[in-house]
Amino acid sequence: MMKKEKTYYKAQSVKDAIAKAAEHANDFRYLAGGTDVIVNQFQGNEDKNCLIDITGIEELEQIKSDEKKLKIGPLVKLDDLKENDIIRKKFPALIEAAHAVATPMLRKTATIGGNILCENRCIFYNQSAWWREAAGHCLKCNGDICIATGGKKACFSKFMSDTAPVLICYDAQIEVLDINGLQVFRLEDIYTGDGINPRSLSKTALIRSIMLPLDNTYQSVFKKLRPRESADFSSLTTAVSKNEQGRIKIALGGVDPKPVVAEGDSIALRDELILKVFKKSRVIDNDYYSRLYRRDMIRVFLEQSFDVLAAT
Amino acid sequence: MKQLSITINGAKHEVLINEHEMLSTVIREKIGLTGTKIGCEQGSCGACTVLVNNEPVLSCITPAMRFNEASITTIEGISTDAKLHRLQQKFVDKGAVQCGFCTPGMVITALDFINKNPGASVDEIKDSLSGNVCRCTGYKKIIEAVSEYSKEGFSQDKNSATEEPVPAPENVVISTVGKSRPYIEAGKKVSGAAEYADDVRIKNTLHAKFLRSIYPHAKIESIDTTEAEKLPGVRAVATGKELPVKFGVLPISNDETAIAIDKVRYVGEVVAAVAADTEDIAKEAIKLIKVQYRRIKEFLTMDDSLKDVGENEKIHPEGKFNNNVHKKAELRFGNQAKGLEESDIVSKMEFEFEGVSHGFTEPHAATAWWDENGLTIITATQVPHYLHRALAKVMEVPLSRVRVIKPYVGGGFGGKGDPFPHEMIVAHLARKTGRPVKIRFSREEVFISNHGRHPSRMVLQLGAKKDGTLTALDADITIDGGAYGSFGVVTTYYNGVLLQAPYKLDNFGFRTFRVYTNKPQCGAMRGHGAVNSRFATESLIDDIAHKLKIDPVEMRMKNFLTPHTLTVGHYRITSNGSRESLMKVAEQSEWKSRHGNLEFGHGLGVGCGFFISGSALPIIWNELPQSVVHLKVDFDGRVVITSGASDIGQGSDTMLAMIVAEVLGISMEKIFVLAADTLLTPVDMGSYSSRVTFMAGNAAKDAAEKLCNEIIEAVAKAKNSAKEELNLVGERVFNNDKSIDLSWLEAIDILTANRGAVSISGKYISPKLGGDFKGAGAGLSPSYSFGACTAEVKVDLETGQVKILKVWGAHDCGKAINPMAVEGQLEGSWHMGIGQTLTEQMKYYEGLIMSNNFLDYKIPTSLDTPDIITNIIETNEPEGPFGAKECGEGALHPVIPAVANAIFDAVGVRIKKLPIMPEDILREMKLHKQAEMNPIL
Repeated sequence: MMKKEKTYYKAQSVKDAIAKAAEHANDFRYLAGGTDVIVNQFQGNEDKNCLIDITGIEELEQIKSDEKKLKIGPLVKLDDLKENDIIRKKFPALIEAAHAVATPMLRKTATIGGNILCENRCIFYNQSAWWREAAGHCLKCNGDICIATGGKKACFSKFMSDTAPVLICYDAQIEVLDINGLQVFRLEDIYTGDGINPRSLSKTALIRSIMLPLDNTYQSVFKKLRPRESADFSSLTTAVSKNEQGRIKIALGGVDPKPVVAEGDSIALRDELILKVFKKSRVIDNDYYSRLYRRDMIRVFLEQSFDVLAAT
Repeated sequence: MKQLSITINGAKHEVLINEHEMLSTVIREKIGLTGTKIGCEQGSCGACTVLVNNEPVLSCITPAMRFNEASITTIEGISTDAKLHRLQQKFVDKGAVQCGFCTPGMVITALDFINKNPGASVDEIKDSLSGNVCRCTGYKKIIEAVSEYSKEGFSQDKNSATEEPVPAPENVVISTVGKSRPYIEAGKKVSGAAEYADDVRIKNTLHAKFLRSIYPHAKIESIDTTEAEKLPGVRAVATGKELPVKFGVLPISNDETAIAIDKVRYVGEVVAAVAADTEDIAKEAIKLIKVQYRRIKEFLTMDDSLKDVGENEKIHPEGKFNNNVHKKAELRFGNQAKGLEESDIVSKMEFEFEGVSHGFTEPHAATAWWDENGLTIITATQVPHYLHRALAKVMEVPLSRVRVIKPYVGGGFGGKGDPFPHEMIVAHLARKTGRPVKIRFSREEVFISNHGRHPSRMVLQLGAKKDGTLTALDADITIDGGAYGSFGVVTTYYNGVLLQAPYKLDNFGFRTFRVYTNKPQCGAMRGHGAVNSRFATESLIDDIAHKLKIDPVEMRMKNFLTPHTLTVGHYRITSNGSRESLMKVAEQSEWKSRHGNLEFGHGLGVGCGFFISGSALPIIWNELPQSVVHLKVDFDGRVVITSGASDIGQGSDTMLAMIVAEVLGISMEKIFVLAADTLLTPVDMGSYSSRVTFMAGNAAKDAAEKLCNEIIEAVAKAKNSAKEELNLVGERVFNNDKSIDLSWLEAIDILTANRGAVSISGKYISPKLGGDFKGAGAGLSPSYSFGACTAEVKVDLETGQVKILKVWGAHDCGKAINPMAVEGQLEGSWHMGIGQTLTEQMKYYEGLIMSNNFLDYKIPTSLDTPDIITNIIETNEPEGPFGAKECGEGALHPVIPAVANAIFDAVGVRIKKLPIMPEDILREMKLHKQAEMNPIL
């Protein structure tokens, strides 16, 4: 029995990484912090033979700014975001969100790019290969039924990033490089809502930077629901922002295969917006907390967030 | 394979590695530095933390290839000279080390944090350690150690805290008992030198992996191992038929085989095992084994298992009835019906509890081999003696051909207290291959093996007079045992019998059913059997107190049993510190002024409890003493203690040494403890039922007193003195006029002259106790511990989330032999109780354990653990060694109801389910509000 050799490649540049990725087509994974990728490999959720380590690529580690934009390199570690003056001043909820991810140790390794591309999770999916065989493979692991819902059509694995909802509320865009060159997306536009393939980026795509507008200012509120004050993935993440013009943006995590987003021109639309995201969220029973509780908490968190925004 | 070049602790290494190998594997397996621990392999426990180029890294989830040419510091490299690093020394001095398994990761994490954040506050330290799981300490002493280190500054020139032991001045009384001191092995643990089961390296060892069932209840139609056997590197494959002898910790439920034969009874049961040259080959081989199953009806709930199975096959075909009831226990005392009838108030409630797990940080591991002495196994066990017996039985060899060695054990809490299938299997594979065979469990396998607290359901009724005097208690209980017996028969009784104290109850009875279900078996866990029913009882008392408008503290005070009395079920209560415990925590938490008076959402609650201090009866009926301790003293003056007691992090080795030192009046430096090796050490029943300090401690004291006597007799004879005139104090033997005044060594010279080394044996045998009815033996103990907790909580009125602000705990341990160790046991118990209260649960999907890792099984982190105020209550137990009794389990009982009762005080709703989920609180609050607005409903 010949097994394909496992290789590890430390990319020297973005170009180098993408070339290597193209070479390995369907059998590679980019590795930034690796805190999720490696666990998924360990559990057999993925079994890629080629790991392309991008952590040595310096240009992806920097935070740069001009008058209009702050550009955060995807390799900036979650724990290091707080060191940046502009982020502290203009985008404080991003620091809160980063601090709410996982544990202190993981935040020293995990990157902002990795966090926004964090694989969707489900209690029936994030298990060992043996476990998934015993449970009967679900849609996300090539089975024909969603164990959580009993349905056959859609996978509802949860979108897990805590930083992405905040970034979306700050109107973040991302620069993406792949074999075809550079493209720019609004962050919310890369998420498909399909639990099996939750992102629309091409296979070789790498984020070059996460761009936040400096020509506007935001007030923002971040909240995260989880059983413990550390370690846990989100059971519900909410971010709400109000910009200079009074425009409101809401983004939720943990309650749907993609971030649930709603926007409105003024805080007067508060009830309408809450109802909108509430209705859009496809919450199912695949979490420590029940579906109903998480649904209820969407309202509670958003009402509380709006109260804070209204008071400021 | 690729060449990796790394510097570890200053030494350069070139190693050939698999390109996807994790750094932890390289450090442990290639370099051999086993101080870096593997607790979860998923980055969720922190035990594997190392420094890479001075940045902390979770080495179990980081590929080593990332760090070519990097400089790595492991726990072994933290101190640069022969001394411990100052932070390591703080961990030792403060008692921040118990089992020691999380310690290396904890030290490195803390060191990095304080170096980069000098002078950090306690809150910041808590935050920084919130990714490192500790199951023993409740984090309290760890945070204290790190805070002190932080406060004192961290410059290297201050690195001089390790003080040489000061030799005792002449004729000064050396007093050991009652003084806090670190564990004798703490230095080894904190420096990564202590060897745990997975750290054992025996040359030529094979590695085992298991194929596990994917069905909860299925017939095994066939197993084809041909392909697996053909795989190069595979040395043996084993299936169930090779190990037909059944075993189990209790003689009355020897219902398990090492590997399933004919059918599987839970998802995860071992179906076949492979021994191969490497773990990876063994893993591959497992995938090549083909098993044909035929599923049969499974029984996953207690309700299903209570019912007649009809035509379906029972989980265990033996047994009188056509259902899956494993054990029914029922005892009744006084006249419950009359008691309830004469009550002015009766409170009756139904309760429900999820199963919980021990959550020890060290996964099971074992290495076994055979040689001219028969079988030797080094394994993470709490009970070498019972494993010794089970191995002899299953391997079908004489007892004299089995040697069980316990290395350092990374926590147990009851979860390493059974003989386990994996221990039988590696012994078998070792015999089959003629080579040592090792197994180490993944965290998932630890959860699959379970043996944790039984999920349970119960209806309790409690009656009281208007003045709060309790009149009658009835409990109707069902517990979910899973697929096998384990300690379950004991659990079945304990759920009921352990309700007969700490309150006086003249009319009391219970009935418990333990059912088999097709899930991993449940067994004994800290506070064994009585934790859930204690919660129920304490909730009922709180309810009655509320309804009678009596202070719940006063109501408890009114009903406490006195010291030196008998309970209704014939338990002999000796010392009893219930009253002192409760008074202490009530006072400290300002109970009188605050309970019932805090604003809505903010509450204070109370709970009490008691527990056995060692089971008076052995599990396997025989006439052996419960504990035997040997002492040997030779020409060098060193006293060697040999004891079968298992130190699993609770500090029993240190306790034995302290007791012997105290009796002999010598310093701890003259004592060496050799423990838990069934070849060398006398039989001790092991670490369960909170028995070790009381029983092994008494045996050690007995032996030391005998040795003391021998020394004095020898000196008296040699010096023509009456032995009554001689004293052995402060390492000298002398008479009052000092005409005889010998050093310890001179006295030992006299003792050993013409005789050589002297060996002395001490023992402990429990007095005959209990009534003469069937079941009277359950819960009998030579003494009982008592305790109380108050807890302060805040409930978020919109989310239902509970924040425990503070816990005050007090526990009557008779006498604290080592106060720092006792505090550690208490704090760990309260922390574990808090976990069961709010976040921990064994969740299943169709019999398949879902919460099988440290992300989904939610042990409270340092941030989730409230401030804990620790009180040791001393009552001087007449039969305990120096007055001591248990402190390792009983403390857990009161904390859970204290939190639930605090929630009631905060928001007026009583949650009768554990864990307490915020949504349950919100729902109950809503119902409560509706009822208030519409009282007719």
